[in-house]
This record gives sequence, structure tokens and C-alpha cells, in this order.
Amino acid sequence: MVMSLLLGSALLLSACGSNESSVESSAEGSGEWSPDKPIEMIAPAGAGGGWDTTARTISKVMEKENIIDKRMAVANKPGGGGAVGWSYVNKKGGNHTLFVTSPPILFVPLNGQSKLAHNDFTPIAGVIADYSAFVVPANSPYDNMNDLVEALKEDPKAVSVVGDSAPGSMDHMAFVKAVKAAGVDIKQLKYVSAQDGSGMSMLLGNKVDVYSTGLAEATEQARAGKVKVLAITSPEPLEGETVSEFPTLKEQGIDDEFVVWRGIMGPKDMDPAAAKFYEQAVKDMMETEEWKTQRDNFGWNDNFMSGDQFKDFLDQEYKTMEELLKEVGLAK
Amino acid sequence: MIGSVERKVAIVLLLISILYLVLSFQIPTFPYSIVDADALPKGLGFLLAALSILLFIQNPTEDRKKSDLKKDEVLMLLAVAGLIFVYILLFELLGFVVVTILFLLFTSRMLGYTKWKTLSAVSIGFTLVLYFSFNYLLQIYLPQGILPF
Amino acid sequence: MDTISNMLYGFQVVLTFQNILFVFIGVLAGTLIGMLPGLGPISAIAIMIPLSYGMDPASALILMAGVYYGAVFGGSTSSILLNAPGISGTVATSFDGYPLAKQGYAGKALAIAAISSFAGGTVSVVALMLVAPLMASFAVSFGPTEYFALMLLGLTAIASLSEGSTVKALISATIGLIIATIGVDQQTGTQRFTFGNPNLLEGIDFLIIALGLFALAEVCSLILSRKSKMMNGNTNVGSLKITKKEAKEISGPIARHSVLGFILGVLPGAGATIASFMSYITEKKISKDPSSFGKGNLKGLAAPETSNNAATSGAFVPLLTLGIPGSGTTAVLLGALLVVGVQPGPLMLTDHPDVFWGVIASMYLGNLFLLVLNLPLIPFIARILYIPKALLISLVIIFCMIGVYGVSFSTFDLYLLLAFGIIGFIMRLLNFPAAPLILAFILGGMMEQSFRQALTISNGNYMTFLDSKVTIVLLILSLLSLTLPVIKSKFSKKPTEEEKEHLAS
Repeated sequence: MVMSLLLGSALLLSACGSNESSVESSAEGSGEWSPDKPIEMIAPAGAGGGWDTTARTISKVMEKENIIDKRMAVANKPGGGGAVGWSYVNKKGGNHTLFVTSPPILFVPLNGQSKLAHNDFTPIAGVIADYSAFVVPANSPYDNMNDLVEALKEDPKAVSVVGDSAPGSMDHMAFVKAVKAAGVDIKQLKYVSAQDGSGMSMLLGNKVDVYSTGLAEATEQARAGKVKVLAITSPEPLEGETVSEFPTLKEQGIDDEFVVWRGIMGPKDMDPAAAKFYEQAVKDMMETEEWKTQRDNFGWNDNFMSGDQFKDFLDQEYKTMEELLKEVGLAK
Repeated sequence: MIGSVERKVAIVLLLISILYLVLSFQIPTFPYSIVDADALPKGLGFLLAALSILLFIQNPTEDRKKSDLKKDEVLMLLAVAGLIFVYILLFELLGFVVVTILFLLFTSRMLGYTKWKTLSAVSIGFTLVLYFSFNYLLQIYLPQGILPF
Repeated sequence: MDTISNMLYGFQVVLTFQNILFVFIGVLAGTLIGMLPGLGPISAIAIMIPLSYGMDPASALILMAGVYYGAVFGGSTSSILLNAPGISGTVATSFDGYPLAKQGYAGKALAIAAISSFAGGTVSVVALMLVAPLMASFAVSFGPTEYFALMLLGLTAIASLSEGSTVKALISATIGLIIATIGVDQQTGTQRFTFGNPNLLEGIDFLIIALGLFALAEVCSLILSRKSKMMNGNTNVGSLKITKKEAKEISGPIARHSVLGFILGVLPGAGATIASFMSYITEKKISKDPSSFGKGNLKGLAAPETSNNAATSGAFVPLLTLGIPGSGTTAVLLGALLVVGVQPGPLMLTDHPDVFWGVIASMYLGNLFLLVLNLPLIPFIARILYIPKALLISLVIIFCMIGVYGVSFSTFDLYLLLAFGIIGFIMRLLNFPAAPLILAFILGGMMEQSFRQALTISNGNYMTFLDSKVTIVLLILSLLSLTLPVIKSKFSKKPTEEEKEHLAS
């Protein structure tokens, strides 16, 4: 009885909410929407991390190239692997709050650490892509991905894998997904989480066998001959001085890829016209020389997706990851 | 006989350790780990329980300085704590500048600072300098609240 | 020979008008940010990153490195004057620094901190220059088992950190360990004691605990004593005077902890905070008069201050030679390098020698600037203590609040700060020492993770802890640190009783 009352009132409330927003957007008409006050760009993490860097770079280029004539201030909302920032955006709502996001918006809710998930927000645009790399020390017995897969098939507990993210998040699942595609029993895999960023140090000190990390971290070490890159997760071989030598999973007969994407989202109640406005702004920004220089410095790859494409992509990824996490017993 | 403050503390600590243990035993298990997430908390819970029993037995009253907290002093401490609480409550609502000026005025006055002119000058000057150097120089945004800047 | 020519090259890079200016701006900004309780170098550097677009890479890193060690240098000021640690690396500085200031020797304490910082900074830069490439392999030689043993060694010192009842010290430490278990467990992703609150998922920030237990608890004590004067009648708190005897006294710890701090700084898992605690404990352990620690012992001030600055230079070893960040701050520095077009990594020394040697040379200059900048300012800064208590108390509270808010932007953390302030004051009333809680909190989290990482790698085989010589040595040291005091007291019991009788008669 109480439940149905609650449900009923919730439905009523949400109906009111949608009514209101549709009234608002029709009032705007089909005309152009543009921001009328400073925009708040949330990095749902502390200063200095990947989200923070992306947010600050985007806001810097936007302001410098006058793509939006309002200030775009970056604010950090760290905590809960993103959950604190997401609930802040959700509470704030409106047309003047954006946030930078990447695969954790799929993983963190799947791990049961956030009630809000990707479909509680408005996808605005996909911006960049990075790929994972699986790395071993220079003196490792494994020379390519298939050597490693063979060893794992024989005994999944013989190899220890380290990554900088939590179990069930990016570094872990990128590796799990790849070796599953190669036919390894992923339930038994040994994953060591080094969240203080000591993964590379453990690998170079020969404390662990494999390091699952981002491409950028691996490239310089490989160029110096300290590590071997067994595989990268891009669909096609990459262009560039050292990275072109890294074999993809597909080249080694493993049908898998993993994109570490980054994009921009807004609150769920954002006016569709506003979302379109920001989508176009991101697109314009990515055309500028300033952006291209920064992108190359960071080793990012452009990966523009429109809001709709971004949404479909996220739904697809969510499904894949949910299945994988269930299989390794981490889905909550 | 319970008597000494130490023994009362020991009992409180024992209760805390029991509560902590109860919570520790509710931590969900993870099928594939060698030492699971609940191992250390369980150990710590028992350790704290043991230590609090030891504290009860040892009853080390002698090493505590005699403190004679007067009643009005305790009230003063509670009042400051209350003001801090209100400060946090209104921090994002009214914004940094307004609540900070009010807090400085109220608290300093309550603690016995009587020079109103200096106090207002310091409160307003200090707050504004901090606010502008944070929001414009450091680009660390303190809440602006009801003010337009 | 080679080193000298490299160094000369480094100075060539630094000694341009522009770069000297950058060193100066960097250390000045760093000192100021360090002085603000709570706010550390990470925020400052992260904010500078987008501003450094298009800058010369060497200049950019010189500037940001200056902010980093400048903040460690400046962080001691608020630790000493207000008992409010400026950054996490200067928490241990307040143990003896604040008592000194309370006794009316604020100027002296600040001067000793400045000199120790300068010495620690300079000695470790020399070490950085001479042995950086050699130390690179040492930096990665520490894995989970080694870190576990190192943290254990630190924890065994807990009983020695406090006066009075050992049980109370152990209870404090256990509570510190219990607080460290709050948050998502890193190895399994299981939530522990978070009560569904997203603010608790990443655990409680070290600085909130330190500011609460030290600064806010001290505020309570100040409120109680607000009617009495701060300086115990000493009217010249700003005096920098250090006697010859005192200079001699602190020369020992400075020499020791320049080395220890540097070594711990090189290890990616340790860093300035752990280095300063380890140095403080070591100095107390080897002292002839351990009971004077925590009451204004000059050695107890010089040791952590030397160590945290030495560790800061040490942290540049893995960063510059391997491209591995050893701490949160160096991770952000690494990001800064990317912005200016330098790929940090093992080849940086060959690809960008100007960055490598330029930064090292700039650190000599920066440390000198810091000393020259800080010493003349001390008499003025120490005047903070002349501010009437009623006003000072409310200002300190505000400082702590924005320090915490400026890092996490969450009022939840402010409530936590208030709670830890209250806990800290109650602990003081009941004579439970706060230092063991802080130490256990900072070592405990890492100890648990290392322990479980090691066992995951070894498939649950506990013999893995006897596989490495370093681990074995550290474990033996921990055992000695636990048992020696007991043995010592057994042997020395009789003489002391005789002494007592002797004194009585």
C-alpha cells in the first residue's frame, strides 16, 4: 500500500518534471540556445588526474579560441571514484553544468558504488580515445600475447597482473576482456591493484609478470627497452614513431578491442537544444590548431561522437561490461 | 566498581569494538581473494576489544593530568563547536564571504574580543583577501552563494 | 668530472633572467600555498598546468618543482605557529615545533626549521645529482613485501611515540588502523564501513584527521586558556638566535636525516610524509633523552624538517630517471611535462638533458632563495602569535576550513574535520596520545594493501616474505625495535632503583 503510494507519487512527480522541461524547450522554440551565465565544468576527481587534465584542457581551448563566449570554470568534485561528482551534477541539473567522463561511469555503478549510471545523464559528445597496453619486463619469457595466453590457459594462477585501477575497473577489465576473447578461464586470474600508481615500478622491479596500463605510460618505457609491449587494444595498428611497432590484439588472432574513451556529459534534465549547442562547441573546438597541439602532446586520439552516437556506444559498452563483471563475480 | 574515567572509557571502547566487529562480519566476501577484505577489520576489532579490557584492568588513572573543566568553559567549547557547525551548514548556501565574516565577528566577540572597529576591519579584509586570492589567483572556487561575484 | 660538466650545463640553463625569475616565483608561490593549512602543492601545480602551454619545458618544470619544494618548506610555518600542519609532510614538524612556539621560541623554531629544510634540500640535491641514475634501480627494488616490512618497522615504534600508559598508545594506534579500513578495499573492491555514503568510498583524507586532531583540538585548548598570554612572558618571540650549543645539537640529526629522507623519498611508495615520521621516530629512538621529545626538543624539530625536504628531492629520482611518479605530486608534475611536449621516461636524460640538469641546478638556487626569503620574514610571521587569542582562534578555524574545502570541495569533509577536532580534544582530556593514531593511519592502509598484494602474487605462500634480503633485514629490525626496549628496561631496572635510593639518601 505504502509502496504503491510512493510509486504513484514518484510517477506523478516525474511526469510533472518532464512536462515542465518540454514546456521550457518549446518556449525556446527551434531557435538557437546559448549559455547566459558561466559554465561549470566538473572534473569528478581531484586535481591532476586524467579527468582533471581533460577538463582543464578543454576549458582552456574553449576560452582561448572564443568558442563559447562565457567563462568555463573547472571545478573538482573528487570522491567515490566519480560518484560524488556525479551526484553533484545530478543535484545541480540545468543547462550550465557539464562533466568529463570515461569508462568508470560504466564500471563504478556496475561495482555497486554509485546509484547514478550513464543513463542518468545526457551524453553530449565523445572527445578522445586512448587504448590499453599489456606490458611485460624486457627479460620476460613472454614475447607476444599468445605466449602469455598459452601460459594462462595452462595455469591461470601462474601469472600475476598488476594495474593502477580498482578490481573491476579499467585496467583490470581491459585485460580480462582480451584474454577471455582468447579463451582463458578468467575467474582464476590474479589481479593486483596498485592504486598509488606503483604498477610500473612493480613491473620494472620484476615483482609482477604483466602490467595492464594506458598506452602513453607504456610507450616511453618500451622505447627505452625496459619493457616489451605484448599487445595494444586498438582496432587498427597505430601510427607514430614507437607506437606503430606495437601489435594489436587482432593482429595476433585475438578478436578484441578496448577503447579508453573520454567524453562530455550533462545533467539528465538538460535542454536538448543546449546539448546540441555544446555538441557543436566540442566539434568546433576539436578543429582548432590549439587543440591539435595539446592532443598530440598528451598522446590522445580524436574520437568525436555526436550525442546520439555516444549514447548508443555507451549502452553497448555497458552491456558487454556487465556480462564480464558478472562472470568474474564483481558485479553488484 | 567502575569509578574512574579510565574504566568508563574502557567500557565505551569495548562497545565500539563490538559494534565494529558486528559490522566487520557483515562485509561481503569476495570469492577469489586469498586474504579477503574482512580479515584485517575482524582482527582489529578483537584487538581493540582486548586492549579495552586491558585498560579496564590496568586502570592507569595516575598518568592523567587533573583537569578541572569549569561548567561555563564547557559551555563555551560547545558554543564554538555549534558555531562551526552552523558555519558549515550555511557555507555553500550563503557563500564563503557572508558566512565567514559573520563567523569571525560572532566567534571573536563571544571569546571576548571587544574592539569592534578592528574586529570588523579584520573580518571583512581577511575574508575578502582570501576569497579573491582563492577564486581569481589560485582558481580554487570557494562557494559564492548569494553574492553576485 | 662528468658530473661537474653536467652541472655546469645545468646552471647554464638556469642562470638566465627568465629562469631565475621562474625559480623565484615558484618557490614564493609554493611557500605561500604551503603555509595555508591543508592546501598542498598538488592543487597549485595542477592549476598551473594549462597555464604552462607553450612554455619552454625546462622553465616549466623549474617553476613547478619550485612550487613543490617551496610548499614543503613553507608547510612547516603553520605547523610550528598554529599546530595546523600546512601539508601532510609537515605533520611531524608540529610535534616539537609547536611546543617550542608555545614556550616563546617561535622565531628560533622557525629558524631551525628553515635551516634544516635548507640543509636537507641541498644535501639531497647533491645526492640527486651524483647518484640519481644509480638509485633508479633501488627505487624499483621495493615491491609489496619490502613495503610491508618497512611499514611494519614504522608501526613497531608506536609504543615509543608516547609518554605514559602504553595501553592508551596502543588503543590510539588501533583506532588509527580502524579508521584506515574505511572506504572501498583496493584489492577486492568491497565497500567497508561506508554506510552507502559516496563521500566515504575513497576513505578519509589524512589531512582532515591531522588538522582535526592537532589544529582544532589545540583550538579547544586555546579557548580554555584564552585569558592567559600566549608567549609565557617571552616578549621577543621573533628572535632567531640559535646558540652554538644548539647549532651543534641539530647538526647530528640534519646530517642523518638528509640521507634517510632522501632514500625514503626515492622509494615510490614512501615519500615526504612517511619520511618525516620515520625520521622523527628514529631520532627519538636513538636519543639519550627520549622523554623530552614532544615537549620542544630541537632534534625532534630538525629531524622531520630535514627529512621531508630531502625526500622531496629524492622523489625526483624515479620521476627524472624512470618516468615513474613516486607520489601524488610527482604524478601531477609528470602530467605537466606532457603538456610542454616532454615524454617523461627512462630516456629523458638523453632526450632532454636541459630539463634534467636544469631542474637539478634550479633546486640549488631554489633552496637558497627559500632560505634568504624565509629567514628575514620570520620575525614578522612570528608576530601572528601577538594577535589576541580571541581573534586568532577564529582565524585558525577558518584557515582549517578552507584548507580542507579547497582540496575536496565538500562540506561533508568539513563535518568530518569538526568531528575529528572534538575527538582530538576528548583524547587530550583523557591523555590518549594523538601521534600513534596518525602514524598508524598513514602506515596501516599501505601495510594492509602491500601484505595482500604480496600474497596474491605468491598464491598465498607466506614464504614470499623471506624471499628478499631487504625484507628480511627490515623484519629483523622491526623485531629488534619491539624487543630491545623490553630487554633494555630489564637490564637497567636495577641501576635505576639503586639510583633512586641513592638520590633518596
